[in-house]
Amino acid sequence: MSLNNAKHWLQKINDLELPEKIKIMNVCGGHERTISNAGIRSLLPENIELIPGPGCPVCICPEEDIFLAIQLALNEDVILIAFGDMLRVPVNVSKKEVRTLEQARANGADVRPIASPREAISIANDNRDKKIIFFAAGFETTTAPVAAMIAEGLPDNLFILLSGRLTWPAVAMLLESGEPGFDALVAPGHVSTVMGPEEWQFVIDKHHIPTAIAGFEAESMLAALYSVLRQKLDGRLFLDNCYQEVVHDGGNKTAQRYLNETMDVTDNNWRGIGIIPKSGFSLSQQYAAHDARLVFKDYSDDSRRRIGEMPAGCDCAKVVLGKIYPDQCRLYGTACQPETPIGPCMVSDEGACHIWWNTAPRKSIKQKSVSTQVEESVV
Amino acid sequence: MSNKITLSHGNGGKHMRRLIEDVFAKHLSNDLLNTESDAALLPIQNQQLMTTVDGFTVQPILFPGGNIGSLCIHGTVNDLAVSGAIPKFITLGVIIEEGLSFDTLDKVVKTMAEAANEAGVKIVCGDTKVVPRGQGSEVYFTTTGIGYKTSVVDYSTKLIKPSDKILISGSIGDHGAAIMLAREQFGLSGNLKSDSANVISFCQSVYELEGVRFMRDPTRGGIASVLHELNQATGYGIQMNEADAPVHDEVTTICDMLGYEPYYLANEGRVVAVVDASVAEQVLAIWKDIDHGENAAIIGEVTEQHQQVVLQTELGGERIMHEFMNLG
Repeated sequence: MSLNNAKHWLQKINDLELPEKIKIMNVCGGHERTISNAGIRSLLPENIELIPGPGCPVCICPEEDIFLAIQLALNEDVILIAFGDMLRVPVNVSKKEVRTLEQARANGADVRPIASPREAISIANDNRDKKIIFFAAGFETTTAPVAAMIAEGLPDNLFILLSGRLTWPAVAMLLESGEPGFDALVAPGHVSTVMGPEEWQFVIDKHHIPTAIAGFEAESMLAALYSVLRQKLDGRLFLDNCYQEVVHDGGNKTAQRYLNETMDVTDNNWRGIGIIPKSGFSLSQQYAAHDARLVFKDYSDDSRRRIGEMPAGCDCAKVVLGKIYPDQCRLYGTACQPETPIGPCMVSDEGACHIWWNTAPRKSIKQKSVSTQVEESVV
Repeated sequence: MSNKITLSHGNGGKHMRRLIEDVFAKHLSNDLLNTESDAALLPIQNQQLMTTVDGFTVQPILFPGGNIGSLCIHGTVNDLAVSGAIPKFITLGVIIEEGLSFDTLDKVVKTMAEAANEAGVKIVCGDTKVVPRGQGSEVYFTTTGIGYKTSVVDYSTKLIKPSDKILISGSIGDHGAAIMLAREQFGLSGNLKSDSANVISFCQSVYELEGVRFMRDPTRGGIASVLHELNQATGYGIQMNEADAPVHDEVTTICDMLGYEPYYLANEGRVVAVVDASVAEQVLAIWKDIDHGENAAIIGEVTEQHQQVVLQTELGGERIMHEFMNLG
């Protein structure tokens, strides 16, 4: 049934008479995967462009935070745990030095990937004689379970290196820049589940950009795309919830309470972008004893922020902001591939470059090799 | 007798003899297996032999739909079957980690014996070692399989031509998904079972057909890896049609939750065949008639239209199917 519905929405989109080019941004790696896996770009009219925006927490995690995690893993007698994706993101140091958490592990550090924050508790309980540092990078959806874990009580030996971010401030920053680079927005599904759809109302009220919240099936994505296109054509804007199964008014109050109780919203750095006001989470004062940034404060190094941009030649910053498509980066598919990633967008499963590389949502796949496609960008 | 295997069960003495007699010989005995002898005599006359070697390290060793014992038989005989040989003999190397329970080992070897009987193969010789705790992962098996070449065609990717059709004998990704469910780290549960089985009847059923070019069991790396192998060996494009690919709903759900695609999950009881377009429907009909063949399907074709592995999505879009890469 959902396939039929998806085809129905696709037909409706193709039946629209779009007078001009319209660029629709998504801000969730899961959405980009849905679009790419279903081959949606290849099915839409030429004048509809789908551009991935800031939807990958690994991609924007500040370089100085990853550097800090690597140093702690190498120099302290700790077990450093992180979500798997973080292990392969390189920092900007010479090739002779340890560049990733994965390399730190190869050099003898105890670095362990986890899939769920709960594993942090069990690792801490299983290793009472060790200090455990949980490098918790993520958007609201992964930060909320971390907050719940903290609120419910942490083992004494568990410390949090928090690098949580809020999604909407990055979109607000783009919109306020005067050159947002998109005409309509597909708002994130899981983030809205946690924080409530109302967070995205400002895009319509303040910036007059058509907006719809989508889920992760092709059906829901196409319904959202149709919605924003119709909003644009009719000039009648409203925040359309195309993921009603799980996105409810007000969001998840319990999750929000945990976030409020354990964390403060602070101005934070985004890799390659800079400081965005009120865009990140920091542990509240009452959890200072578990805040790895305070407990290991000798490691903090503000000078890293100056060198903590993207690697030389890497356009991840532009990709993250939706200024260019992944295959417009000179390194895409040449020096930068999933086995040998240079920028973070080629590392993470949520990174636009990685998703594009895996699914090649290009205009034409009737080409000999990917490297020849670097010149033939989509736009 | 202790209910756990200790290093003394690998020291060549009385304990080891009991391990062999009470577990391996008890379940695997046959007219060719002589635990007193260092080598087995195989009664082979005027036959072309094919041989294969394989190792089995799956974790967890027990999973829904099978265990490492049945898997080691299926994996070995399937490599022979897809190559055109009827499997006959298997040699078995066993590496046990100190601390494995006798009950678990007994269960594994019993299942192994049942799988061997079903496949019509005999385990003709074996070797057992015990390694200290921490130096293994419960139990590892290595096997050599020997079979009689039977197919009329010498299957090879060199025979593959544009417009050839690609078939699969059943649903995709069941084994990989079942293993993920069985790994407790994801905290998931379900009724899904591994597809672990021998594919001898599927392969044998087409041994006489001239139009069959190549067969492969899509184990590690899944069907995507087989398609990439075809692409790289032939230089032709491979077009797969998602709408025709048989994938159980449970597998799709697990994949959606964990961010995988079923095409990259291991299968342990399936065979992929590349056949001339003129015999594709015939092979499909034969396979659908075989037990567990009801989901067999023509899932794609070889093409000169492009040189990549391309998935036509259910929705009708097209995208690349990337090559499997395990980055650990």
